[in-house]
Amino acid sequence: MFRDKIDLTGAVVFIAVMAILPVVFKNDYLIGVLTVAAIYAIWAVSWDLMSGLTGRENFGHALFIGAGAYTAGFLNTVWGFSGWWSIPAAMIVASLFAVLMGFPTLRLKGPYFALAMLSASVIMQRLMLIFWEYTGGEEGINGVEPLIDSQLSFYYFTLATLVIVTAGLLAVARSNWGLILRAIRGDEATCQAAGLDITFYKIASLVISGAIAGAGGAIYAHYQLQVSPALFEVVTSITVITMVYVGGMASIYGPVGGAILLVLLTELLRDFGEWRLMIYSVVLILILFFLPRGFIAPVWQRFKGSLGRSSS
Amino acid sequence: MRGATVLQVANLTKRFGGLVAVNDVSFDVRTGEIVGVLGPNGAGKTTLYNLLTGFIPPDEGTIRFMGGELRGMAPHKIVRLGVSRTFQLCRPFVGMTVLENVLVGCLAQPVPPQGREARARELVEQVGLAGKEGLAVEVMSYGDQRRLEIARALATGPKLLLLDEPFAGLGSGEIADLSALIRRIHTESGLTVMLIEHKLHEFMKLVDRVIALDFGELIADDVPERIVTHPRVVEAYIGGAAPDPQEEA
Repeated sequence: MFRDKIDLTGAVVFIAVMAILPVVFKNDYLIGVLTVAAIYAIWAVSWDLMSGLTGRENFGHALFIGAGAYTAGFLNTVWGFSGWWSIPAAMIVASLFAVLMGFPTLRLKGPYFALAMLSASVIMQRLMLIFWEYTGGEEGINGVEPLIDSQLSFYYFTLATLVIVTAGLLAVARSNWGLILRAIRGDEATCQAAGLDITFYKIASLVISGAIAGAGGAIYAHYQLQVSPALFEVVTSITVITMVYVGGMASIYGPVGGAILLVLLTELLRDFGEWRLMIYSVVLILILFFLPRGFIAPVWQRFKGSLGRSSS
Repeated sequence: MRGATVLQVANLTKRFGGLVAVNDVSFDVRTGEIVGVLGPNGAGKTTLYNLLTGFIPPDEGTIRFMGGELRGMAPHKIVRLGVSRTFQLCRPFVGMTVLENVLVGCLAQPVPPQGREARARELVEQVGLAGKEGLAVEVMSYGDQRRLEIARALATGPKLLLLDEPFAGLGSGEIADLSALIRRIHTESGLTVMLIEHKLHEFMKLVDRVIALDFGELIADDVPERIVTHPRVVEAYIGGAAPDPQEEA
């Protein structure tokens, strides 16, 4: 796991397929779906770095996503900054939220971190409604400018961001830092006995995770051209967590596949109307029940294994 | 072999509600000693370790290690000063290999000249696990897990090594092997060692001196030969926990 060779071929094939799909089909609807899938993938990998590796589950990733999106919304529409300021600003704001949440709760054992994250995202959603004069309430902030006018170019921008983020997080996960995070998942007391300041590593990982999720939130705001309190909803966090579980926790690349699969699945099931959510949930339960290690990462590893055997 | 005082514990006390787990305990450990900590279950042995390593804060008393006060320090800082421990129940990092487990212990230390991974390999070899570097820890025998715990503790570069019941759950052959390993590490690297155990034959042969605890109090501090006949130690072990005469030195 830790010293596995990087699967460059797999990565190149994945990027090529994602890049060629909209060229082949020339379909605006497909480009839109793929853009959303890439944004969800950014959220899923960022969740996986902190929570997948350390096992400290974050039930409020929506806090960072919403914080990033609203930062973009305010900067761009209220204060009139260029859209390109949104991403760095969203990362800073989301990082501050991460420090604020991580500092008191990640020092404690038990479910405090998961619960505090969940509550904080719900509170933020309520605050967006309470301060409707500034935040637009239920309507949110409208009139966010597009970062790039061409939808296809914006998709490529999002895809490039996803590739950079995933490569960066894979590098972290494979470094000594990643080894420490996996050790924290194994046993916190043993980590302390090994001389490691586990609180520092957990908070720093949450900051990285939050900053990237915030960047994804800003990209989402500039895609939807609008932000709404729904971003802070619990269902946003749960969707991201489900994508990670389907993809294969702690593998980093798995959640990318999980996010794309589930976004596409959601679109395919749109015709089923009211049945869609139920079918979706059953598919999820089946995957979680029968494939506790996830779906994408193990299947990919088996596929690679069979390739290796047949070629050698 | 015995040098200056490396650890000086004075009037150490820890209460859990009404229970006094460690009661006014004072003792010294000198450089190069192997000191045994003896006592029936619930005597406060592991609590004493938890106090020494910062895992729980003491209510009263002082812990001086190489002249500096450890009380109030975070566990990882105490480790970096050179006090390393193992746990009574093996707590390896599940899902990681033997080498990765030891490597984690090297990460809080400055990079050694040969590099961290090479250092971890040396330690795996030193504790007799050569060839098992790539093994998943969950498939290892209990005896091997104990060796792994020791390798991980050594990786932090300790001056004082605290072993918590290293022989628990092992067969007599494994106990002899592990005892030889501890002795070898002690002589090779000049480590000062403390180890918690019950009154085992091997244990008594291994240690230079024994600190006996009962109900949180230090009841004896003497060489092993005199400990086994010490009236308060004998009294503490009377009843179901009485020492097995065949196992006595």
